[in-house]
Amino acid sequence: MAISVGLHVAIVLFSLAGWSWSEPSHEPPPRSISARLIMPEPVPAQQASQPAAQPSAQPEPEPQEDAQEEARKEAEEKARQEEQRQEEARKQALIREKEKQEAAAKAKEEARRKAEAEAAAAAKRKAEEERRRKELEAEKAAEEKRRAEEKAAEERRKAEEKRRQEEAERKRQEKLEQERREAEQRKREEERRKREEQLAALAEQSAEEQAASEQARQEAAAAARAKQAQMASESEKYEALIRQRLSNAWYIPSSAQKGLVTTLEITLLPTGELASVRIAKSSGNTAFDNSALSAVRGVQRFPVPNDPDVFNAYFRNFSIQFDPEKLR
Amino acid sequence: MMRVIVTLLLATAMALPAQAELLIRITEGADNALPVAVVPFGTEGGLQPTENISEIVRDDLAMSGEFAPLETNRMLSLPTSGEDVFYRDWRMLGQKYLLVGNLSPAAGGSKVQARFELFDVNREARILGETATVSADNLRTLGHHISDKVYKAITGNRGVFSTRIAYVTLDMENGKRTYRLNISDVDGKRSRVFLKSKEPILSPDWSPDGKKLAYVSFETGRPAIYVQELASGKRTRIAQFPGLNSAPSWSPDGKSLLMTLSRDGNAEIYRMNVATRQLTRLTNHWAIDTEPSWAPDGDEFVFTSDRSGGPQSYLMDADGGDVQRLTFGSRYNARPRFSPDGEHIFYVHKRENFFHIARLNIETGQETILTRTKLDESPSVAPNGRLLIYATQDGGKSVLAVISADGGSNYVLPSRFGDVREPAWSPFID
Repeated sequence: MAISVGLHVAIVLFSLAGWSWSEPSHEPPPRSISARLIMPEPVPAQQASQPAAQPSAQPEPEPQEDAQEEARKEAEEKARQEEQRQEEARKQALIREKEKQEAAAKAKEEARRKAEAEAAAAAKRKAEEERRRKELEAEKAAEEKRRAEEKAAEERRKAEEKRRQEEAERKRQEKLEQERREAEQRKREEERRKREEQLAALAEQSAEEQAASEQARQEAAAAARAKQAQMASESEKYEALIRQRLSNAWYIPSSAQKGLVTTLEITLLPTGELASVRIAKSSGNTAFDNSALSAVRGVQRFPVPNDPDVFNAYFRNFSIQFDPEKLR
Repeated sequence: MMRVIVTLLLATAMALPAQAELLIRITEGADNALPVAVVPFGTEGGLQPTENISEIVRDDLAMSGEFAPLETNRMLSLPTSGEDVFYRDWRMLGQKYLLVGNLSPAAGGSKVQARFELFDVNREARILGETATVSADNLRTLGHHISDKVYKAITGNRGVFSTRIAYVTLDMENGKRTYRLNISDVDGKRSRVFLKSKEPILSPDWSPDGKKLAYVSFETGRPAIYVQELASGKRTRIAQFPGLNSAPSWSPDGKSLLMTLSRDGNAEIYRMNVATRQLTRLTNHWAIDTEPSWAPDGDEFVFTSDRSGGPQSYLMDADGGDVQRLTFGSRYNARPRFSPDGEHIFYVHKRENFFHIARLNIETGQETILTRTKLDESPSVAPNGRLLIYATQDGGKSVLAVISADGGSNYVLPSRFGDVREPAWSPFID
């Protein structure tokens, strides 16, 4: 259970990590724009539109007049005609002047228009150039962006691929784990089944023995109680023997007074030999303490029970209190 | 599975319940005396000792009643120093302690040096190792010194083997009765006559410093109380009043004496300031009040009075007030003496026409008859309170006997004299 939870947590963490790798914002923006500007590509032709052709400034030629008149008419006509001609000439001169002026104005206008047109054309060209430069830049930026996007997309794709592969691996592992668990479960089930079979067999056996066991338990408890009682009585017997030996071995020094008590701790070997003796509590009277030590040392072999249980329970380690009731 | 449970149950049932560790209480000791081997001391440098040191020590220890010295002829080996001691030998002989030593000349032969060691056979441990030097003619003093050391090491009590006994003997000398006041070692040896008289000498009592004796002498034909210095022999008659002058008893500070005087018509107890001879009468009763003896603390004294019809022991404050009867056990309980610890009095107790020495516990009133002899008198307690000397009758003669203060042993002091009476045990003499 814990393993599978852990595994899942690990997988989630892993896929999160993969996703974060595909995040383009993590990629630094391209820095190649300025470099590309140094070597601009040729301007594509289809994009540029030529400015319109300039209209022609030459005026149309004037039509010629043909007149045949008689003598008066001719003279008059001639005078009038002269006058007329003069008038005409003046008119013509005026007209010509006017025309000249008009032509000059027209030429000036034309020149202005032409200059304007040229300026406009230049402005237009400049604007066009600017536009084209901007377009180019935009195009380049677009290209950069496209490339970046392509790169990011590639990376995303790769990350996705990796994640997908990992996911596949995880799924494969999970599947393996699942299979292992299932195999274990099957094994456990099998074992449990076997054990149950054994227990069932035992239970069957025990059912027969149970009554006897209960009796045995009670008997054992009774035996233990009896053993304890027997041990206690055995210990009492040996206590009395030890007491007698020590009383015989103890020479109470005459400086002993009522209330003097020396307590010794002794350790015996199972043979009854003294392994060690030490003063657990001194009486304060050296001669008295020594008399007690001497008494214990004076017993060659302490009477101890043969039963190791009794010996271990009572006589391996015990205390002796020398507490005289009858003083010398 | 069931079987496992059953086995566990069995195991639990078998296990002993938690119990206190076994404690064996020993309230009685051996009744017999402590076996001790005093090996004959070796000698070095061609020394020919005039005294048998080990024999002196053996006798001292035997007299104490607390030791049973081993006879020399039973010893398996005769080591004279610790290196030669085989504990097993002494263990086999049942000995609890072993004293070995040797003597060598010192100071060009005018002195003797003793080196001695005491061993606890059971513990296989040396508990005493000393050297002592005495003048060559003072070997008995050395013997008693060693006895005191051994006694102290084993019993925890100060030994009394270097103290003295004063006593009075009566002999026929040239057909005349002759009284002598003698002073001897506690074993009766080295006795010397302190005073000789044709008239009775009674009631010797040691001054607390052990340098003087007070006693009653009839040498003038009448009883008088004398104080005599031991060293110089200088004596002073301090009381010869009309009538009775008897039973002097030194106060613990040595400045005054209690005594019985009948100068005022009836036997009463007085206190005399030794320096000024000033008398203070302490009892005033128509009955006989006598045989006073100070309590060790000097606040009280005991005495004998027949004010109840027969002689009994009474306790009185040092200033004469607050009299209290102590003995009730029979019609005769006289001549009381305090034990050094002030807990008991020892006195002559008459029962069925026999006189015994008895002991009374003042606190509990418990009375113990200590002696089995029949005509006992004059108990005097050793300064360590362990022994008691008294006079008794043996074969028609009066003899001195020493008994342990608890009545455990009896030792008759050998005396080359005829009748011996009135013993007084000295204090410790430093």
